[in-house]
Amino acid sequence: MDYYLQQLVIGLSLGMVYALVAIGFTLIFGVLNVVNFAHGEVYTIGAFVGLLIFVSFAPPLVVVLLVVLAVGAMTGVGLERFAFKPFRRFNDEATLKSRAMREATLMSSLALSIVAREGIELFFGSQFQSLPLKHMLNSPIKIGPVTIVDGDLIIFGTSFLMLAGLQFVLKHTSVGLSIRAVSNNPLGARYVGVNTDRTIAWTFAVGSGMGAVAGILVGLYYGAIFPAMGFTPGIKAFVAMVMGGLSSIPGAVVCALIIGISEAMSSIFVSSVWQDLVAYAFLIITLIFFPRGIFGGARERV
Amino acid sequence: MKNRRNILALGSALALATLPLPVYAQQPTYKIGYQLPLTGNTAQYGIDFKNAAEIALDQFAKAGKPFKVEIVFEDSRSDTKEGVAIARKFVDDKSIVGVLGDFTSGVSIASAQIYKEAGMPQLSQTASHPDYTKVSEWQFRNITTQAQEGPLNAEWLYASGYRKVAVIAEQTDWGQTVVSNFVDKFKALGGQVVFSEFFNRGLADFRPIITKIARDNPDAIYTGYFYEDGAQFLKQMKQLSVTIPVHSTSASYNQQLITLAGADAEGMKLTATFLPNNPAKNVQDFVAAWKAKTGQAEPGQFPAQAYDAVNIMLAALERAHPNVTRKSLRDQLAATKNFPGVTGDTTFDADREPAKKLVRAQVKNGTFVAVDQ
Repeated sequence: MDYYLQQLVIGLSLGMVYALVAIGFTLIFGVLNVVNFAHGEVYTIGAFVGLLIFVSFAPPLVVVLLVVLAVGAMTGVGLERFAFKPFRRFNDEATLKSRAMREATLMSSLALSIVAREGIELFFGSQFQSLPLKHMLNSPIKIGPVTIVDGDLIIFGTSFLMLAGLQFVLKHTSVGLSIRAVSNNPLGARYVGVNTDRTIAWTFAVGSGMGAVAGILVGLYYGAIFPAMGFTPGIKAFVAMVMGGLSSIPGAVVCALIIGISEAMSSIFVSSVWQDLVAYAFLIITLIFFPRGIFGGARERV
Repeated sequence: MKNRRNILALGSALALATLPLPVYAQQPTYKIGYQLPLTGNTAQYGIDFKNAAEIALDQFAKAGKPFKVEIVFEDSRSDTKEGVAIARKFVDDKSIVGVLGDFTSGVSIASAQIYKEAGMPQLSQTASHPDYTKVSEWQFRNITTQAQEGPLNAEWLYASGYRKVAVIAEQTDWGQTVVSNFVDKFKALGGQVVFSEFFNRGLADFRPIITKIARDNPDAIYTGYFYEDGAQFLKQMKQLSVTIPVHSTSASYNQQLITLAGADAEGMKLTATFLPNNPAKNVQDFVAAWKAKTGQAEPGQFPAQAYDAVNIMLAALERAHPNVTRKSLRDQLAATKNFPGVTGDTTFDADREPAKKLVRAQVKNGTFVAVDQ
């Protein structure tokens, strides 16, 4: 019994790691309706920036998180400026409704993500960076028969704060209102006087800031900071987002937890080599049987 | 008298003008190809090999040999397709007489098919899959295989009194040989393998596997991983408070393992061919040159193997000189006997496999030290 409980707890902590990445990812998707392929690299950049700050100044964790949040937000604005904005330079109705113009940003964000990853690799090398071990978030805490680590609590707290904060911003502030307006109908929002460009830049700032914080937290949690670290969490967050119905942030979080728990539980029955298949299986099942996502409600197709 | 002097003068003038000009003006230069990953997610290994090769080449150039050697480095990204393309390029370049590399067994074997057709000697510093040297008589390696290491480890674990052992390894050709060679011998000795599983290289979270291993309660864990996975595994073992002794292969022998895992690496045991704290002069010279060139701590076993592989190649070139062809170089490589390298003395047997002596080592106080038991 303890064994199953321990696997469940490990699954929950895996799921929270995915959720942390999925929140920012889904927020950005929600406003533009396109996938931001560079989110994984923003996550990596967050981890490297955090590591550099730790190594050079050794400040308390909270300070590092705030600086990483700021750097992530700036990265997000830059990313939007270079990979997304150039495709919105015409404001006529036909262009705004054109899927091709919107979806060209899949390629431009992918291109920037490759440049960023290879750039980091050129500069730091592709190996794991050595980080001061005392900063790692992996001191065990025993709770009855199961063991968790302090990082689990920090990641849980951060995810919770992000989720609650976002819900508050989206539902109760004017920025949130304009984000929802642009997300719902960019053309309509523009006609009623919403500054769409600024709203989109804000969304990227917030989403990428969260992505960067996720990067440094997970980096410290596993003690593994390397240029390709954004890939796997990026894929899992993407699946969680699709399962959750594309633009539902709470939906993405719940689905991230489902993926994490299923992965850990699957390892009870099959070899861990198959563990990565769990997420892909969920993706296929969602696309076939729940084309609107599990939490998509009445919204558009996935 | 006068005539004779004239003839002498004429003769020497003629001799000067025609014959040995190349000797004075320019030494012959032989080219060696080196295919290795310089980008991609195994780049750290390839960059180490390149540094080691440049150290070896530098020492060779300073030794005043009658010929020069140039190494052409090509980046394979540890990708089979890239490796084969590089092999074709090397084969087409008539000035290249021999090839070093690649890093992984998979890419080395794929490239080996091209070298086999063209008749090009290939010496890999790390390809340890049994099939690699079976491709043709042109393939050599400078790494002990699991066929040698597995049984040795099985005997070591058995002699330590372990009877129930868990085995995990990465899901690669190499990982398979780690498990099979160890398990066969361990069972033959009368031991029991209670758990056996493979994982994908670069797995972020080992905790589900560790929890499973702990449930089966083995006496020891035998692992087939490289240092990055190793560091993750050891850290997460500590995180879950699992204290089963861990044994590993020479592949995880790297100072970075200890840097990444810190105190959590303490006590891990493994077999290795190269220890940087070996007091032998050639080892200490290499370690000093490595530190000066890279600014890093001590080299791991892989750079040491690359350094030896380059030197074995250079020694074979020297024996083949001045009649250096791909064929003569192959024959001289095959004739390598008791080559004194930093990873021990190397002799190629009839199957072009190196016989090397493995030492037992353990992590103690943040460094690898030789142990008896």
